[in-house]
Amino acid sequence: MVRAIRGVLIECEPAIKSIIVHFDSVNNDIIIEDLDETHLVVKENMVHVLKQKLEERLKETYRPEEPLQDSE
Amino acid sequence: VVDQIRLWQLENERMRTAAGFLFKDFDTPDEYAALSGYADEIGVLVWRNDRKKVFFASKFEQLRDYLKSRKKAE
Repeated sequence: MVRAIRGVLIECEPAIKSIIVHFDSVNNDIIIEDLDETHLVVKENMVHVLKQKLEERLKETYRPEEPLQDSE
Repeated sequence: VVDQIRLWQLENERMRTAAGFLFKDFDTPDEYAALSGYADEIGVLVWRNDRKKVFFASKFEQLRDYLKSRKKAE
């Protein structure tokens, strides 16, 4: 029986997707369906939290580049 | 502030989101083909995977009605 599940489709590069999968692994409260290496469906009410977490993570990852920008 | 903007840009480039509905667990390949084809036709199809027989659509009302009328016709 076909089902329609409400959610938000996310399209991203595999590196970002693996970060999201990692976030979800803590409480299993984000991902509805893992579709392929660049797509997944997440809960609508978790998108905001997810973006925040992702931003924090990207901030950590890109910190080493900041001194270069400052010197310009 | 500049760094904040830069991070948002990074994220926007790296991630696209679309609200809607995931359609899955089709009874037959025909049912999948018909419904995903109809979703495409009326412009609500966002993403599809023919191998896994799942697709994502921005709306579901018209698809639900289409499925009902299709079942009735069988």
